[in-house]
Amino acid sequence: MSFTNFYANKPGMEIKFVGLKNYIKILNKEDIWETMQATAHFMFWTLLLQALIGLGLALLLNKKFKGNEILTTIIVLPMMLSPAVVAVFWTYIYQPQTGIFNYMINFFYDFGEFTMIGDVQLAPWSIVLVDTWMWTPFTMLICLAGLKSIPNYLYEAAEVDRANKFQQFLHITLPSVLPFLLLALLFRGIENFKMFDLVVELTGGGPGSTTEVASINLKREAFEKWRTGYSSAFAVIMFVTIFGLGNIWVKVMNKIKDK
Amino acid sequence: MKLFSKLVALAACSLISFSSLSAAERYITLGWAAWDPANALVELSKDFTKETGIEMRYEFVPWPNFADRMLNELNSGGKTFDVLIGDSQWIGAGAVYGHYVKLNDFFGKEGITMDDFFAPTVYAYSTWPKGTPNYYALPAMGDALAWAYRKDWFAKQELQKAFQDKHGYPLSVPTTWDQLYNVCSFFQGRVIDGKKRYGAAINTERGSEGITMGVTAALYAWGFQYQNPNKPYDMEGYVNSDRAIEALEFYKKIYKECTPPGHSDAYMEANLDAYKSGQVAMQMNWYAFWPGVNKDPDVGGGKSGFFANPDQKAKGATLGGQGMSVVSYSDKKDLALQYIKWFAKPEVQAKWWSLGGYSCHKDVLNDPGFVDSQVYAQGFLDSMGKVKDFWQEPTFVELMLAMQKRVHDYVVGDKGTAKQAMDKLVEDWTETFEADGKL
Repeated sequence: MSFTNFYANKPGMEIKFVGLKNYIKILNKEDIWETMQATAHFMFWTLLLQALIGLGLALLLNKKFKGNEILTTIIVLPMMLSPAVVAVFWTYIYQPQTGIFNYMINFFYDFGEFTMIGDVQLAPWSIVLVDTWMWTPFTMLICLAGLKSIPNYLYEAAEVDRANKFQQFLHITLPSVLPFLLLALLFRGIENFKMFDLVVELTGGGPGSTTEVASINLKREAFEKWRTGYSSAFAVIMFVTIFGLGNIWVKVMNKIKDK
Repeated sequence: MKLFSKLVALAACSLISFSSLSAAERYITLGWAAWDPANALVELSKDFTKETGIEMRYEFVPWPNFADRMLNELNSGGKTFDVLIGDSQWIGAGAVYGHYVKLNDFFGKEGITMDDFFAPTVYAYSTWPKGTPNYYALPAMGDALAWAYRKDWFAKQELQKAFQDKHGYPLSVPTTWDQLYNVCSFFQGRVIDGKKRYGAAINTERGSEGITMGVTAALYAWGFQYQNPNKPYDMEGYVNSDRAIEALEFYKKIYKECTPPGHSDAYMEANLDAYKSGQVAMQMNWYAFWPGVNKDPDVGGGKSGFFANPDQKAKGATLGGQGMSVVSYSDKKDLALQYIKWFAKPEVQAKWWSLGGYSCHKDVLNDPGFVDSQVYAQGFLDSMGKVKDFWQEPTFVELMLAMQKRVHDYVVGDKGTAKQAMDKLVEDWTETFEADGKL
């Protein structure tokens, strides 16, 4: 289908073979690269923040303290919610006049009236923040599983060798938990590459096209403009991209594991 | 005897089932947007059921999903709807792709003449190709983009004085976009009755058609033309003309300087909310909402006034409204046509207006009492006399989404210049018409 000029909303139209025309058009289209940039920005920052905060929380919750279990339950709550519900919920939080987000920011420093999801500079960060809030618990849980699997005798041996806490973290904890962290990031990366619902509900791809990630553009081409052939080519490109990136990631992960 | 009783009972049951099945089949399903006029139509259609015994069922879809839902249904040849009140821009696709039944023969047979309806509405809602006597819909709901304002605030002496001092003329209903800007910017950030207020709630929505409908209100007032009148689909120098660029820049100025914070993805409901909650002095919206605004406990009861889209270098207003069509995939086309025949009656049209629908029938609009029947009636007549619609081509969705992107990127997204936005729009539209074989 991706090699044709097919439109699903035009009954009786003559379907022509167009070769690689759709692919060439997509790869040369500035708008498509902008959506890819928006996707890359979203993926990079969400993965980075989720890795750092997720690992940090996992290290915290790996310690034994009173209220550990309740805290774990509270932290994992966001990822149990539907993305659409989360988006609506955060739309209210971000509301510039009555939302709690602006109130909290202005409590510390008076920025005056500002809007997170309506501002070109801030909107990309608004979706990063919400996704991080929602999905950091996932990274945290997987890291926590990794931390729990580290045998205690490794730390005991390190202490005998007079390794300090930082050295123990660097040489025992981090290498042990890294494959788990990378696995969590692989799942999150795949999810975020095709992120749709959360962003649509929160910003609709706007303002302008600043948060128009690739899947939103694909949906518009496929099911609003009904450019079926063209959007099929776009879907193939997206699949090949994520498949390729995923494979590279898995190879890196295996190399780290082997070490 | 026992056997006989059983047979009688069986026959009775069969009869009851058959008659209830027949009754159940005497219904039609009407699809429209979920908004105030739809409720008025439900009320109105009770008379139809009373007269004919045909039950009416409805599926009303919220505006943001209306086009998606209905067009997907039509594209898949769905039988959900027998009667569809579809947006004016769908008429091209409805006719060309065979989604709508052509109504000429039916109108001829039933004595329904389009001369009884207001000419601009017939042109916009019923004909394809445009202006030809090929009818695919009955004008059902006249509408145009207009403005509501806080009459009570405009009447405040201290505001009147402040405005007079600033601009040298009284604070009143703006008749040009320059005046509109003066009024909007005057109210922006002003404290009235102890609360901070803003200028205007205008259309900025990205997903469906919102910002295009808003921007075209400005474009038409600057004399915008979609194409060379002598050479169809020749858009260079028309879509991206100096006037069009000026109008787009003006719209952005109003967005940047006169709207409430966060008003970056707003359409009908968001504008209504901003207005009803007392945030803004004016709102841009469809006439369809004015009956509701006029009755609203907070802003109705004389607190609001209404006016047609202001002019600037030309007269123009964005057309809204819909025609009523019979879906060609329906199994109950005969019942659907009965409904259209009933709806076209002058007395039904008069009741339609009284319930809050906007009739396009001349008997209603030319009635001497019409102008005084509602505070927004004169504005409606003024607007309908100068309306202009977006492309009604079969490919209108592609054309619309391209414009949504280009103008939203510029107005809200701060991307590039107005000239670049309109140049890119010409490129997008040219690509669409080329793919459709029009160029």
